[in-house]
Parts: sequence; structure tokens; C-alpha cells
Amino acid sequence: MHQILKPVAPEQENRPLFQVESLSYCYPDGTQALNGINLQVHAGDRIALVGHNGSGKTTLVKQLCGLLHSDEGSVTYKGEPLSGAHLARARLEIGLLFQDPDDQLFGNSLYDDVAFGPRNQGQSEIEVDLAVRQALKAVDLEELMFKPPHALSYGQKKRAALAGLLAMRPSLLILDELTANLDPAQEQIFIDLLKNYQGTLILISHDLIFLYELCERALVLDRGRVHHDYPLKELVEHRPSLREHGLDFSFRFAESRQHTEQVDVERRQGAKKAEPAELVGQNAATLVDMRALAYRYPDGTQALNVIDLAISPGERLALVGENGAGKSTLLMCLLGILPFTGRYHFAGTKIVPGKGRAVWQNTGMVFQDCADQLVCSSCYDEVAFAPRQYGVAEAEIKVLVKNALKRVKLDGFDERVPLHLSGGERKRLALASVLSLQPQLLILDEPTAGLDPQGGELLLNILREIDATLILVSHDIFFVRELTERTLVMHNGQIALDYSTKDFFADKNLTSLNGLDFTYRDQCALQIRALQHLHEHTHPHKHHHEHSHVHAELTHQHPHEHEHEHDHSYGHRHNETGAHQHSIQSEYHHHEHPGHDQDDHDHRH
Amino acid sequence: MSGTLQISSLWLLPLLLLPLAVYSGFRVLSGIARKEQGGEDRDWSVPQIEYEGGTTSPVHRWDVRFKLASFLLLAFLVVSLQHPQTALVALIMALFGYRVAAIPWRRGLKRLLGMAGFLSMFLLMLPLTAVRQSTDLVLVFGSIDWLSFNLRGLDLAMLIILRAATVALLMEPLLATAPLPVTLAGLTRMGVPRRLTELLLITHRYLYVFLHEARRMQIGMDVRGFRKSTSLATLRSVGNYVGMLFVRSFERTERVHAAMLARGYQGFWPQPISLHVTPADYLKACGVIGLGLLLVICDQFLVGRF
Repeated sequence: MHQILKPVAPEQENRPLFQVESLSYCYPDGTQALNGINLQVHAGDRIALVGHNGSGKTTLVKQLCGLLHSDEGSVTYKGEPLSGAHLARARLEIGLLFQDPDDQLFGNSLYDDVAFGPRNQGQSEIEVDLAVRQALKAVDLEELMFKPPHALSYGQKKRAALAGLLAMRPSLLILDELTANLDPAQEQIFIDLLKNYQGTLILISHDLIFLYELCERALVLDRGRVHHDYPLKELVEHRPSLREHGLDFSFRFAESRQHTEQVDVERRQGAKKAEPAELVGQNAATLVDMRALAYRYPDGTQALNVIDLAISPGERLALVGENGAGKSTLLMCLLGILPFTGRYHFAGTKIVPGKGRAVWQNTGMVFQDCADQLVCSSCYDEVAFAPRQYGVAEAEIKVLVKNALKRVKLDGFDERVPLHLSGGERKRLALASVLSLQPQLLILDEPTAGLDPQGGELLLNILREIDATLILVSHDIFFVRELTERTLVMHNGQIALDYSTKDFFADKNLTSLNGLDFTYRDQCALQIRALQHLHEHTHPHKHHHEHSHVHAELTHQHPHEHEHEHDHSYGHRHNETGAHQHSIQSEYHHHEHPGHDQDDHDHRH
Repeated sequence: MSGTLQISSLWLLPLLLLPLAVYSGFRVLSGIARKEQGGEDRDWSVPQIEYEGGTTSPVHRWDVRFKLASFLLLAFLVVSLQHPQTALVALIMALFGYRVAAIPWRRGLKRLLGMAGFLSMFLLMLPLTAVRQSTDLVLVFGSIDWLSFNLRGLDLAMLIILRAATVALLMEPLLATAPLPVTLAGLTRMGVPRRLTELLLITHRYLYVFLHEARRMQIGMDVRGFRKSTSLATLRSVGNYVGMLFVRSFERTERVHAAMLARGYQGFWPQPISLHVTPADYLKACGVIGLGLLLVICDQFLVGRF
């Protein structure tokens, strides 16, 4: 019996698996996606492919799979160009996972889908059956083998898509945004699988914390070029590089500390804890008041079960829980879209199931996939859409649009086409499109999904400034910590826990609730934080650089090596004795040396 | 019997309510089936053609090629019937076949409910609009002489409804007693181009994705206050919505194709489905086609004479 985590034929040769030389690619609309890429990928490499949204990561992996053909340069796989029979063979050895699992699950049942690859490999039906069962078992979906893909949840689809690749026993796995929108439990399944995977691995992700333990090499793309190609640990400890490429997630550490301090202050002052639903519900000024709310899916699945929830105006609460816990269904009921049973009042108005117009006028919701709410041909029209529906005068709309775009830092984007914006910009546009109505209640469903860290940081700053009642649905525990004061933990269609965010973070029993174990992330974050410990030292160091200097009568400049004593910022770790070790620095580097050109220079010419 | 029959104008009211009554009847039946199921109604705008697993019946065990040929031929024969009486017999036969196939009644009812709104209009329109022939019996409602109810039109409406209901019910044992890939493999073996059957297979899969996407976009517009009206603004919004759906679908098509290529797709779907013919398959086919022919013979030569 074969092991699916072992590639078909482990590479022993020294020649690179992929050799990319001077590769350029331009899309038909004129966008230069890749520009002179030179790259070698060796068997067994574990590469984190990172960079801004739109830096060319997905285009590059499509080139590696022969899905796009280069304008200039070449890509060879195992020494041969990717074309003809060799390309067909290569595709059967390379597993490429796309971002959206629906793109990859085209079979009529899960079994058919996972069997698609092995059947194309020409395996016998007995081998196919074995491969399918093993792959589905590896991703914990064996029981759903004969279900149609549309009957699966998002997380299950993601796992099923990976199973489709694993069944082919690929020697190279290329995974694009594997963990976006997944809860920690599902993420852990992938981490365990990939840690044990013995082939070559290329992971595209904005989530450096996820990449940190799985990859060794970082390939940073910027505007279609390889900007850095070095160990991942060096990348994460070097904040200037991270910031340059929109990957600096250090704000999360810094802000966490700030929040911790704030929490400590509150604790000392005996700050009032978030009130549980029953107490808040007695308040006449309650914005949302749900009693015994329930909803059952058409197939009979009880999605929500006796939900009692009260939200006061101005409250900022988080809704957390594993995929399938009922968070999105609760939001749909809250918007009055689904035909729930039970009692629901919004700002004192009784909401009839399935008819939520009274809610919509005072509520703004930013969807998980913001493409679902961007339908207009210009950013201006998009933001003006809601006010126009409510009959706001055009002159007033102009002001509302201007303000909304300004709040989300999209000033001047009025005429831009939403479809052509980057992921982060579209997310902010979606936010502007609901802010234009100045809603009382703002609902954010997974706002950080697919955002690069820079986009995440910008969004966080925007959200901090918004003064509205907030419901945040997110697996991003950092955003929960930063933006909310009350946390509801959902499990099996019920609100299992309702307490302050502070207590949520102090709760040691969360691992017992499926999907809320953030241990892995915490460990990685701590390690990275240690790596990023940054301050300035003054000590002598030797380097090789170029600057003007004087030799008696002669003034000139050229690269030369000598020893300096001046301040330097280095990312470094301290060991137990207090000693530290710097990361490898470029031998040639440049910085200001005030008055240094007048110093004695004694070196050979 | 022919001629004009003068009746009270009060009879017009129940006749006008007839289509509504038919439609409501289907809804009630569907509601009962739903309650039996223990859940709420699904969106029946997508014809459910998934395999109803967990049951075996003579229809389930039937070779898919024979099943396709027999049921499709029977459907053509039913459509060729000229009299409501034989069409009613055909409907009873279809119900019997449905029972033999052991398919839950709710599926058939949902399918009929989907058609009920459209078909019930025939009950009203055809009797009121049928061109009067010399042999027709026409009801005139009191003094409203410009409005006549042609009983031949009612016959015609009943015939259309019965034939449509029969064919719809025949589709259930045809499509729900084998997984769709098997049914489509059967079609391929019968000479339907492979590319077409693969297209059907993938269309069925992505119909759900498309509908989910359309629904999410609709919710996205609704929660921002979109209200349909007969205005240019609504037309523009709906145009944007349809356009965006088209763009997203087109992009998805490209991504799905790329994903298929990346997993070794070379122009055909690997479907190692083996089909075996047994004498029972021939017998079942003869039985079904024989019944269809018998119906046509009765329709042509017997019913018209009485």
C-alpha cells in the first residue's frame, strides 16, 4: 500500500527541478505580470512565495505548471522545456491548488473528483480507489466520499481540493492561499499534513505565521521581479524588507502588547465586564434583541438553535467559532434574510422572518468575498448605490461618497473600475459602500481574508476610527482582540459562550471547543517576535562599502573594506547569557558616516 | 354534442379560479411532502437530477442505455397522444412507474409544482381563446355574449397538462435512479457526442455554484436597499448585476479549465463506467415501449370512436 504523503519518485539528482531563466509574461490587457525572473527550485525545497497582492505570485506558479506560456525566457522542468508530452507528464507530477476550492472541485461527487487525477495518471480502478480513500482519510473527509461538492462547507471543500492533489502523489505541491478563511482546527489539519509531506513544497500566502514553520526559503516577488530569495527566517526578522513588500505583520505584536497593557489598566480599575445577553436584553435601548431564534436548513440540518442575543448600541462584539458553527447563518438571520423562527427586534422594530428592510437601512455588512457586493462600473457609483436606493438627493450623495472614500483611504478613486482594484482596495471599497449610509450597525465577515499584512494594518486603522456598533466575524484572533470588547463563541448552532474579549483570551478551555485552538499561531508568533527583537547597538563592525574619502591630496571614492564604530539596527536574538547573534548582512552596504571622508584611510590602491 | 349552452354568469367565477385552485392544490401536496421529509422546501428552480441513493428497484437495476431509450421513446409516444382519456391512463402508468422506482413522492411533486403555475394558465386561456368549430360545445355566461367558454379548449388544456405531467414524472425514474455520470455515460454510448455530455456534467455541477453566487450578489444588493421598480435606475442596476455575474462566470470558467489541465485533463473525462446488458434489460424495454405503443393504438383507434 503506498503512502500518499510520499511523492511518486523522490528526486535524488542534483539538477534543479525547475530552472527559470529571464522569464517575462505580459497579460493581454498589457499588465506586465512577470519581468525577467531567474529562479531555481530544487527537489525538497520548501518555498514561501510571498509579495504584495498583484506582485505576480499566481502568474509565476501558472508558468511553472505550463498553464501560461512565457513571452520571453524559459521554464524547464527536470531539464526539459514545459511543452508537449513532457508538459502532460509534468502536470501529473505537480499538484497545484487554486485559491477558490470551487474552481477545483468539478466532479459530480467527492469520489469522482478526487479520482480525476489518478485516473488521468492511468492508474487501474483498484489503485484509484485506494488512492481516493487514502487521500480523503488524510483530510478527514472519508465519510463524505459520495457527497456532491456543493453539499460541502467551505473548509471541507478546501480539504477536498487538497485530497484531489494528494491522491496523485505529486512530487511537487504548489498551494495558493491554502488557509484563507479557515478556522484553526482546519488549518491544523493542513499544517500536520504539510509537515509530513516529503516532496517539494511551494506555498503562496500572506500569512507569514502559517508559513514560518512549514517553509525554509522565502521568495519575495515585487512587481513581477524576484526581490529576495533567501531563508525565510531572515525575511521575518528583517522588518525593512517585510515593510517594503507589504508583509510586515509586526504591527500585530506591537498592538497586542498595547492592548494587553490597556487590559491590565482596565483590570486594575475594575472595569465593568461585558454583560451577558440576559442582562443586556432588559435594557430598553437594545439595538438587537433576539429571543429563542432558530433556523433549519432545507435539508433538515438545525443551523441555529435557540439563540438569545442582545446587542446594545455602540457595543463592539466578535463572533467566533469553527467553520460551520452557524456564524454566517446568524448574520443572515440578523439581516432578516433567512426565514427564522423566534422573536427578533431591531432598534425596537419587530423583524418579520425573511423581510429585513427595516434592518438594512441601519446596517452595513461587508461580505467575506467583497466581490459579492461590488456590482457597479465605477467606485463612485458603488459607494453611491445605497444612498440612491433610499432616495438621497444627488448633491448630498456627492458629499457622502467623498467622505466614505476618504474614510477608507480611497480618495481620488471615484472613476476607477472596482473590478480592476487590488484585493485590499476592493475590501475597503466594499466598506465604503456600506459606510455611505452611515449605518448604526456594521457587520464584518472575515475582513482580513486574502489581505496582505499591509492591507490588514490599513484596514485595522480604518476600523478603529469607525464609530458604530460592530459585529466582527473572524478567525483572525488579532483583529478580535484589537477591535472588540465582547466575544460570542458559537458552536453547533448555539452561542456556547458570551463573555468579554478579555475573558475570552484568558479562557484556557477553548481548545475543547472544536476549532478554537490558536496554540500553533501563538507559538509561531512568539518565535517570530523573538527574531524581530530590534534595537540599535554601537559596536565596531567591519564592512565593505563605497564613499568619498581623502588620501593626502587625492579625493576619490571606490568600494573598500574597513572597520567602523557606529549605530546599526540589526534583527537579532538574545541567548540566555545575554549575548546575541546578528543575521547575515550584506557585505556591501551603504549608510551615512558624518565626517568619515576626512578620516584616515589606509588601504591599498 | 355541439352547440351553445347558456349558463348563469356566476359560473364564470369558479372557472376563473380554476387555475389558482390547481396551483394551490400542488402547493398543498408539496407542503405535505415537505412535512413528511421533516425539512423546509428546497429551491426547486434547479431541477434536482441527483441520484437518490440507498434504494434499489427494477428501474435502478436497469441498464442505463435501455432505460434512456425506453423512457425517451415512451415520452415521445405520450406527447403524440390526442385524447385526454389516454393521456390520463399514461399519467396513471407514469405514477405506477414512479412507485416501482421507489423514488420519494416529494421529488415528483416539486417537479410538478415547478410547472404548475405555467400549466394552470392553459386551463383558463385555452377555453376562452380556442377558435370555435362547428362541433364545439360552448358555454355562454348569461348576458356576457362576448365571452364564451369552449369545452374543446378545456379538453385541449387537460390534454396538454396530462401529457406534460406524465413526461415530467417519467423523468424522475429516468434521472434519479442512476448517478448523473452513469446516465451521461449511457448517452455517450448511444452516440451523443462526448463533448456534449461532459459539458452537461460540468454544467450541472456549476449550476449550483452559479446560483449561490447570484444569490449572494442579490443579497449584497438587497441589504444596500435595492428595490426593483420600473425605472431606468433599476434597469441599470440589474444590467450591472447580470454583467458582473457574466464576468465572474467567465473568469470562473477559465479557472476551472486551468484546474482541470493542471490535474492532467487532456480533452476527455476519465469515466471508467462499465455497462452490462442482461436479458431482463431487454424485457423491461419491451414492456415499457409496448405499453407506450398500446396507448397510441388505443388513442388512435379506440378512444375516438366512443
